[in-house]
Amino acid sequence: MRVPPWLVSMRLVEGDRTKFRFWFPLFLLWPLLLVFVMLTFIATLLADLFSLISGHKPGYTRFVLGILGVVTQTRGTEVFVQDKSNHNRTVAFTLR
Amino acid sequence: MGDDRTRILDLLAAGKITTEEAARLLDALDARSGEGAGTAGAEGTGADEAAEADAVGGAEADAQAKSGFHKFFPGAGVKTSQKTGGSGTPKFMYVKVVSVKGDNVNVKIPVAVMRAGLKLTSLIPAQAQDQINRSMAEHGMSFDLNNFKPDDLEELIDALREMEIDVDSANGDKVHVYTE
Repeated sequence: MRVPPWLVSMRLVEGDRTKFRFWFPLFLLWPLLLVFVMLTFIATLLADLFSLISGHKPGYTRFVLGILGVVTQTRGTEVFVQDKSNHNRTVAFTLR
Repeated sequence: MGDDRTRILDLLAAGKITTEEAARLLDALDARSGEGAGTAGAEGTGADEAAEADAVGGAEADAQAKSGFHKFFPGAGVKTSQKTGGSGTPKFMYVKVVSVKGDNVNVKIPVAVMRAGLKLTSLIPAQAQDQINRSMAEHGMSFDLNNFKPDDLEELIDALREMEIDVDSANGDKVHVYTE
């Protein structure tokens, strides 16, 4: 089972001084996300049912599952930006 | 083999190649010597080569420390290539931008995200796909999402292993896109 991102961290450094540090355990949001996903699933299942009745190929639920798949794969993303022309500012963003 | 290493280190010292490029070349040399020499080749990797490797590692560490990248992402770059090896499926895509002014942008994206994203296009409901195709065609992109097949996607992702894009702009800015 793939685990969704559980930690996001961001750091802003100017010169040698850390100006801003943000660290958030995303797993705290998982229960909220679960409720949202469940509600979305109900909606997409209904949409698929209507699609089926109207003769179209159902695919909304699979699409939502695909989106969840993309979200779970984002772990390991890292972005690092160093702006020397602007107070030697450095921004680092990681998703774990 | 020692000559090749020395040449790489000379190029690095002369500033003709970056530390990352040097590390990649040394990795390629190691892989080649591993394939060709097998166990006998292990005897060839003497103290000089170990010292050279340390020197490169040190130079790279210095360069990375200057850029600050490793301060934030320990284990990135060369260490990642050592972990995944040269022949395995790529795990990450790297986009590195170095401007003449000294600004740096490093982005590391899991290849799995791209795989999942591309697969997502084949999961878009047919009704929505038609609308997207129409809208894209209106904007001058005749690109049919229905043509995306899971087999093609796997092939595309596999081909990423060989992909390497280097852009040297006229003003000296450099963009390097590769996978490891």
